[in-house]
Amino acid sequence: MAASPEPEAWLLENGNIKVLSKEMKNGGRRSHNMSASSLRKKSDLSLVSRIRVGLLRLFLANLQEVLLGTKLSVLFVAIPFAIFAKCRNYESPWIFALSLLGLTPLAERISFLTEQIAFFTGPTVGGLLNATCGNATELIIAILALIKHKVDVVKYSLLGSILSNLLLVLGSSLFCGGIVNLSKQQKFDRKQADVNSLLLLLGLMCHVFPLIFKFAGKSTELIAVRTLQLSRACSVIMLVAYIAYLLFQLWTHRQFFEEQESEENNDDDYVVSNDESPVISFWSAFIWLALMTGVVALLSEYVVATIEAASDTWGLSISFISVILLPIVGNAAEHAGAIIFAFKNKLDISLGVALGSATQISMFVIPLSVIVSWIAGIGMDLDFGLLGTSALALSIIVTSFTLQDGTSHYIKGLVLLLCYVVIAACFFLFDAPL
Amino acid sequence: MPERRDSGKMATTTTQQEAFLENGNIKLLSREMRHGSRTAHNMSSSSLRKKSDRALVSKIRVGFLRMFFTNLQEVLLGTKLAVLFLAIPIAIVAQFCNFGSPWVFGLSLIGLTPLAERVSFLTEQIAFFTGPTVGGLLNATCGNATELIIAIFALTQHKIAVVKYSLLGSVLSNLLLVLGTSLFCGGIANMSKEQNFDRKQADVNSILLLLGLLCHVLPLMFKYAGKSPELTAVATLQLSRASCIVMLIGYIAYLVFQLWTHRQFFEAQEDEEDDDVVADDDSPVIGFWSAFVWLVLMTAVVALLSEYVVGTIEAASDTWGLSVSFISGILLPIVGNAAEHAGAVIFAFKNKLDITLGVALGSATQIEIFVIPLCVIVSWIIGIDMDLDFNLLETSALAMSILITAFTLQDGTSHYIKGLVLLLCYAIIAACFFVYKDSPDSADPTSLLGLVPSAGTMRV
Repeated sequence: MAASPEPEAWLLENGNIKVLSKEMKNGGRRSHNMSASSLRKKSDLSLVSRIRVGLLRLFLANLQEVLLGTKLSVLFVAIPFAIFAKCRNYESPWIFALSLLGLTPLAERISFLTEQIAFFTGPTVGGLLNATCGNATELIIAILALIKHKVDVVKYSLLGSILSNLLLVLGSSLFCGGIVNLSKQQKFDRKQADVNSLLLLLGLMCHVFPLIFKFAGKSTELIAVRTLQLSRACSVIMLVAYIAYLLFQLWTHRQFFEEQESEENNDDDYVVSNDESPVISFWSAFIWLALMTGVVALLSEYVVATIEAASDTWGLSISFISVILLPIVGNAAEHAGAIIFAFKNKLDISLGVALGSATQISMFVIPLSVIVSWIAGIGMDLDFGLLGTSALALSIIVTSFTLQDGTSHYIKGLVLLLCYVVIAACFFLFDAPL
Repeated sequence: MPERRDSGKMATTTTQQEAFLENGNIKLLSREMRHGSRTAHNMSSSSLRKKSDRALVSKIRVGFLRMFFTNLQEVLLGTKLAVLFLAIPIAIVAQFCNFGSPWVFGLSLIGLTPLAERVSFLTEQIAFFTGPTVGGLLNATCGNATELIIAIFALTQHKIAVVKYSLLGSVLSNLLLVLGTSLFCGGIANMSKEQNFDRKQADVNSILLLLGLLCHVLPLMFKYAGKSPELTAVATLQLSRASCIVMLIGYIAYLVFQLWTHRQFFEAQEDEEDDDVVADDDSPVIGFWSAFVWLVLMTAVVALLSEYVVGTIEAASDTWGLSVSFISGILLPIVGNAAEHAGAVIFAFKNKLDITLGVALGSATQIEIFVIPLCVIVSWIIGIDMDLDFNLLETSALAMSILITAFTLQDGTSHYIKGLVLLLCYAIIAACFFVYKDSPDSADPTSLLGLVPSAGTMRV
């Protein structure tokens, strides 16, 4: 594929020649894109190029690029199995598990397609697209569960997403990165982490007050109404904060969020040069995106419908499945990417992925779910229960404290991981009522 | 060395003689030597001053009358807020003619705003005569005169909930509203520049606020950890009173730190472009006794208006449909703080975040570890049971605010998102107080405020 030459864009800004030329070329690559790109494979077009018919060759090349362009593509086979199992009315737990497996590569492909579209629409719209579609899986699961009035599944799955990003993804990245880079200094730019921590604390405040209404008030009906009103007001406030965060990240202070690349990462050229120019056309990417989102919706519907049956059969509480299992699966691709970049001592990207996802879910997906439920007439509030809110509060505090000095080592990662294990054990042993 | 503008003022000294190159900042040292250091509080209020135009007054021939009118003009008209002084006579008339309590309430609130600013001005004038240390102490005490007087009046009328809410609201308003708008406006106005501040000052304030928070959390926990309400009520009161003595010790130490041993942390930075603001305040504009008399007078008017406010708060709450907690927790502090607020925002625009922080955090700290403990001690002397248990919702709001503010300020830089987040936190807390209205079946607002109101502590 084409790799563009860069000699003309030499400027000695920050002594880092490569960064500037790439910035100018594709307007700053977001951490999310970088992370997902670590799971890409270069497509070997030799087989396809033998086909003589032009249109068929283009079509198959496209297919190969999209469907086989990831190391996770083997999991795609779970999708037809899941649909088959549903139509033949196999056991619900099987449908549940197969749908979960099928969702994993889909999340990664959607991120890839969003990045392709970003090449055509420019960095700002591309960044916006990525910010929205990056959590498409969580959003779709939440909305489908809302429609089926399973409000506790929504709350738990979103809470679990935040916890998994903050503790599991970040913890395993910092731990693996720390073990591999034992001899090196591990630094990251704390300004980006600070902004994310601040927004997470704002989100925490919005969860704490509705919870306290429940404890501080007297009559339950009045309190329920008040809690709902406050939750809706807070959701609007959170969305305002999210829009400001996007403005900050994509426009006014974008220099905080550009990731750094350094000269020794020549093997990265392999990955990066892959993504410098789009590999499929805009309309092709758009159609694939719509298609894949459709499949995600289908599989999510299976997941939400069969969650109780799976819970009964496997003997796990619904809270455990929604808080722990669902987010691990939904986040698997990002998780792998974050660990890979931590191995290469590029902590800014790992942090961008983990903290950025947590912030997006907390500031965008959760308030959006509340607003959607408001429109649909379902009463979803921001009260995530005492156990969930305490877990959230402590996670945010521990993570903020961990990241506040701008360095890292493996103990930090291990502590975050162990916190996640404790929370998982908690939800495993106790079916928390909401 | 740029000349300072004299423009028809009283004696000004030249700065050439004191030109030392200490810190490379010549002007700062000369001004320091002349009237001790200027605290952030003074700097902030000075942004609302107007230079008095002496042309009209100098036409009066009788010397004594001329001095009197000069004095009057300097004091009453020396601020951009002077137009709000009109509300004071109208409020007094309204009270005597029984216009209706909400009117009296509203007018008294409006009248309090310029008074707070003038009291600060007079304190600064007196500080020229008494020297920097006593001046700083005076400023520290009188800076929160309005909140203190309102609190004591509410105490004497046994409206303990109003006291607690208004003081809590003052802390929250300083921490989130004033600081948030300043950082936000400063960030928008200075988007291309680095915005730094000295985090040492912010750190000291954060620690003291956390001490205050601890003193609030522990009595609250008694209520939940204890078994019988009567026993815990006594223990809560005793712990509160002991904690207040501890907090006052902390406050005295903070004053010693700020005004004596580590005063260099708290000097406001000035640079060369600030001529027109600073030149105004280099020498006192009224005499010591004149300032003293005015101070006593204005404090008395503040007391009068505060009594109206406290007396009419329930009527205003009923008429306007807002809960007493919302009015005392959100409206009162916004009004009381308006002058400081404007000053802090102006200095943030000029990218002088140290002054902004000094105003906002300094006020919050003073209320938390001086005014609140003082109120508890005063109530102890009078025989009213006020404790430090501010109930679950309010204490958690305080805890989260202190946490978020401390976290925001800990890296020593700022941008507009930080200000916006603090502002949105304040909006959430305001929404919380607004929504948490009195339930229709109970006229006693305190019944909402806790699980089991301990006997004798939450009586209004």
